[in-house]
Amino acid sequence: MSYAHITLPRLLLSLGLIAVAIALSRRSRLGLEGDLLWGAVRGAAQLIAIGYVLLLLFNHEHPAWVLLLLAVMLVVAGATAARRVEHGPPRKVLFPRAIAAIGAGTLVAVLPVFAAVVPLHPWYEARYLVPISGMMLSNAMNVVAQVFERIFASARSEADQVEALLALGATPRQALERQVRATLRAALLPTINGLLTVGLVALPGMMTGQIVSGTPPEQAVRYQIVILYQLVAVAAVAGMIAVAFARRLLFTARAQLVLPPN
Amino acid sequence: MTSTLEARELVVVREGRRILDRASILVRSGEAVAIQGPSGSGKSTFARALATLLEPDGGAVLLGGRDARQIVPTQFRTRVAFLAQQPAMFEGSVVQNLKTGPALHGESLSDAQASDLIRAVGLDEPILQREARILSGGEKQRVALARALANAPEVLLLDEPTAALDPEAGERIVALLRELRLRGLSIVMVTHEDAHARALGGTLYRCERGRLAIDS
Ligand SMILES: Nc1ncnc2c1ncn2[C@@H]1O[C@H](COP(=O)(O)OP(=O)(O)OP(=O)(O)O)[C@@H](O)[C@H]1O
Ligand SMILES: [Mg+2]
Repeated sequence: MSYAHITLPRLLLSLGLIAVAIALSRRSRLGLEGDLLWGAVRGAAQLIAIGYVLLLLFNHEHPAWVLLLLAVMLVVAGATAARRVEHGPPRKVLFPRAIAAIGAGTLVAVLPVFAAVVPLHPWYEARYLVPISGMMLSNAMNVVAQVFERIFASARSEADQVEALLALGATPRQALERQVRATLRAALLPTINGLLTVGLVALPGMMTGQIVSGTPPEQAVRYQIVILYQLVAVAAVAGMIAVAFARRLLFTARAQLVLPPN
Repeated sequence: MTSTLEARELVVVREGRRILDRASILVRSGEAVAIQGPSGSGKSTFARALATLLEPDGGAVLLGGRDARQIVPTQFRTRVAFLAQQPAMFEGSVVQNLKTGPALHGESLSDAQASDLIRAVGLDEPILQREARILSGGEKQRVALARALANAPEVLLLDEPTAALDPEAGERIVALLRELRLRGLSIVMVTHEDAHARALGGTLYRCERGRLAIDS
């Protein structure tokens, strides 16, 4: 296959796109110039690094390396989801829970698929395992971050309602039900929207890539369908687990609401 | 099964300060108690601890002689109702609010029962269909009372039920509480107003710096 070659000067030229955003940020005084610049550099560095890591991994496919890479991805996803939760518990409390929710959600979506739908040869075949797991981890991360972000804030702003329900003899689960429902709906919405617009608005990168590199389109499409369904399962499972953790943090064993200190 | 409610030397510490300092009270079945005291003396904290909505750092709450920690929280709170100073209304109509408590326990409140309750708190039936969140402060207070009564509690804890009301509405609430007491409920009312405390016609307690004492 031939492809348009991106030379280094051309790559640098694309920095102009960031410059557009920086100029707009400065004009509107958004104060995001630093973040944009740092994000541009960091994103590029991460991609360049992972390019080499993947190359190494594909050439020396060893289960330990594959698992190590997945573990690093999981830790980064957990740290990101536990970051900056306003009105929530401290980061060190959320981090292990984020890891558990993201990890469990990903496992639920990934294990059965690789066991039954897309058999891997060998089981640690990095070409599929790494990118697909990455997509799942990333979706779980976004869902868990949203859940944490929202559930603690709504428990705080609606504390009088939650306590009124407890005072009427509600269990913590019943008392927080409204907030949980609103939180999960909001957290799952992007994934569901993804299902509805796929192919119409967004063309999934992996599918496009497979077609470009010679995979028969109907096979690439099937992969993509499986991935979409996996994303749904990941979002649902990770979201539910995050909610369960949040509920345990918000109530004592004696069904009393305890809001994290401001 | 008696519904004597007792607080034994409750201690609550927040930010290194003793908000409750061995506060005790004994409310026998069918008794009425009014708690008065200056702002910040710990009355609300005491009421919330008595309702088990707040875990004390020391002491115990007992219902019918049993430590509240030995009673399932949902059961305790069905028997002991608590009304916050500004009760939160749930989304939906007044009748939906009234049905909330029984629904939590897998029971249902009939429309006829809802009508009885709303009349018992001195409101007219048409209010049942109104949106609860846009009611006036006094109406909310009464709806909250009716909502609590739907659970058929044995004890009513009220945190300043008359504070947000005009004098006349406040007196009507106190009269209502007196009536409920005659029907066998125990009443614990926190209040700023001397007149309301006396009008309740029960034991008077004073709260001072986290301690409770009978006021003679
Ligand atoms: N969670 C908390 N953290 C720190 N301090 C608190 C907390 N809750 C209550 N306090 C403090 O404890 C004291 C007693 O509060 P409480 O609300 O029980 O008083 P109160 O007697 O009900 O007052 P008021 O008559 O104004 O309603 C106050 O000084 C209050 O600021
Ligand atoms: Mg108070």
